[in-house]
Amino acid sequence: MVIQIILLCGLVIFSGLAILLRDLIKAALSLAVASLFLGLIFFRLGAPYAGVFEISVVAGLITVLFALTIALTKKEDEVQENRLVKVIFPLFFILFLVIDGLVMKSLLTKVPALPSAPEGGSFGLVLWKQRTFDLVAQVGVIFAGVLAVLALFRKTGKDEEKDE
Amino acid sequence: MVFSFIVIPLLVAAFLPLIGKLSKKLIPDVLTNAALAYLVINAVMLVKPLLARGTILRNINWFGEQVNLTVALDSFSLFMLFTISLVSLCITIFSVDYLEHYGHKAIFYALLLVMIAGMNGLVLIPDLFSIYLFLEVAAVASYALVAFGLGYDELEASFKYLMLSVVASAFALLSITIIFGMTGSLSFQAVAQGLQDLQARYVVGVCVAFFIMGFGLKAALVPFHAWLPDAHPSAPAPISAMLSGLLIKVSGVYALFRIVYSVVGLTPVLTQVLLALGTISMVVAALLALGQKDLKRMLAYSSISQVGYIVVGLALGTPLGLLGGLFHLFNHAVAKGLLFLNSGSVQHITGTRNLEELGGLDKKVPLTAGTNLVGALSIAGVPPLAGFWSKLIIIMALIQAKEFAYALVAILASILTLWYYLLIQRKAFFGPLNEKFKQVKEAPFWMSAACVILALIVILVGVFFTPFVKTWISPAADVLARGIQHVLTWGI
Repeated sequence: MVIQIILLCGLVIFSGLAILLRDLIKAALSLAVASLFLGLIFFRLGAPYAGVFEISVVAGLITVLFALTIALTKKEDEVQENRLVKVIFPLFFILFLVIDGLVMKSLLTKVPALPSAPEGGSFGLVLWKQRTFDLVAQVGVIFAGVLAVLALFRKTGKDEEKDE
Repeated sequence: MVFSFIVIPLLVAAFLPLIGKLSKKLIPDVLTNAALAYLVINAVMLVKPLLARGTILRNINWFGEQVNLTVALDSFSLFMLFTISLVSLCITIFSVDYLEHYGHKAIFYALLLVMIAGMNGLVLIPDLFSIYLFLEVAAVASYALVAFGLGYDELEASFKYLMLSVVASAFALLSITIIFGMTGSLSFQAVAQGLQDLQARYVVGVCVAFFIMGFGLKAALVPFHAWLPDAHPSAPAPISAMLSGLLIKVSGVYALFRIVYSVVGLTPVLTQVLLALGTISMVVAALLALGQKDLKRMLAYSSISQVGYIVVGLALGTPLGLLGGLFHLFNHAVAKGLLFLNSGSVQHITGTRNLEELGGLDKKVPLTAGTNLVGALSIAGVPPLAGFWSKLIIIMALIQAKEFAYALVAILASILTLWYYLLIQRKAFFGPLNEKFKQVKEAPFWMSAACVILALIVILVGVFFTPFVKTWISPAADVLARGIQHVLTWGI
């Protein structure tokens, strides 16, 4: 129970940090840590599949793409942040809690599900033995992201003229 | 052999940026075209073993260790792989000369190959979550390719495409999540079995609605089409051809109908919903195409309209409807690829895509004008070109299924199609030559060669349509017609 609460607190804190931190790299890393916490929660709840998806896709793959893109942007490209962010985030958070409390709980009980044995297996076992093709696809997505960054941040003829 | 459809494009793409440092043009050109030519030959070589065995399941070991690397190749997948490889090859042949003024060929080809690997993976994987992942592989590469020119319009179109595509993926993922929650599995076979056991009609209905919204957005069906007329014209011509010719069909039409036929099953209500969406797309997009002045924008609207025909054919669910839908998918991929490449040639030689400024080009560029006419007449459904037969089969299937109103709309939309294609032909190629273009010459060799190859395919498939349909289309339509039963007997 204590571990569960620590994990949940970690998830909320790092999710909040991901939105509130002004340094983009730190925000992206906070999101990755939040995903890691969520993945661990999934594992503890007996859903290693969901845990694997969360850790490998969100914490791993998407963070790489974020970090790469942020690393390639220049300081002067910094975008002025809208002040509404500080209001919208808490509003969405409250709205989410209300929907979760009032709707989702009753809705989920009405969705039929096949009785199935609890899932088992470690992170490595599920990812490597059962979801191997996802790894190939994730390599593909990371690769596409890296190539996209190379293509979109390449020097064009105009840039070279400017440099001269 | 089956894995090579995913592995070879990814491997070549991995080495291309490095090779691009050594040779900026020749080796990237040769390597990319050779890889795609190999995939075309590979697809042709697989026809016989597949016809003999029905479905080929492949599972590879990782240095002797058992891992879950399973692909399932049936005739529907093979037909899609053949279409993807063939059209992509012509597009890369065209790119040899076209990309000269963009530069950075190696990165362009690498992104294109990753997109092809994503599409091939999507076609080969019998698993819902992997479909989503490979969809993203193709999508991420396509965002960058749309913006490859780095101009304001390209970046804006790419951003719009990205935003709507993410929404589409979210709907598809939401549906996959609900299905996983209900059945506890993701493979087609297990999910199809699980949904049959559950008999949860309403929840499955909601999931299908999400799939239609998600994949309908990817396929740019009306009313989910807003992104396409911006994204496709803004991209470089080879990418417009890839997106309109292949990507909307693979990540939209293929993914939707693979899931409908192999996982959830086609119900009468679903047939009616898809028929309505397809027909609306057919008519609305054809009417919108009529008012366009930008050549590529007109072609983009035409793609939405023709996807409507494909959806109508496949949604009918009758053997004839499936045959017509799949045949039109191939014909549209080839002819629209040709027309977008031709639009690239026109822009390359005149510097404009505005139909009001063009005129009389047939005297100066007869090859481009001729191949454009072949593609346009095929999509408009003029005999004996390939597009005529597929549209005829779709309309016959509608009449056979007693959907007379839809058949009538399909015929009328076909007339509209002929109208706007003749407008293109008249405004760009016929009539008096614009003074500005007195000095223009035919497009460079490889650009013209690619268009000629595609035009020849359109003519040959039209003339010899019986053997083509027997080899490629009928077995694919049979797989869809057997639907869920087929998946349940795979025994993965």
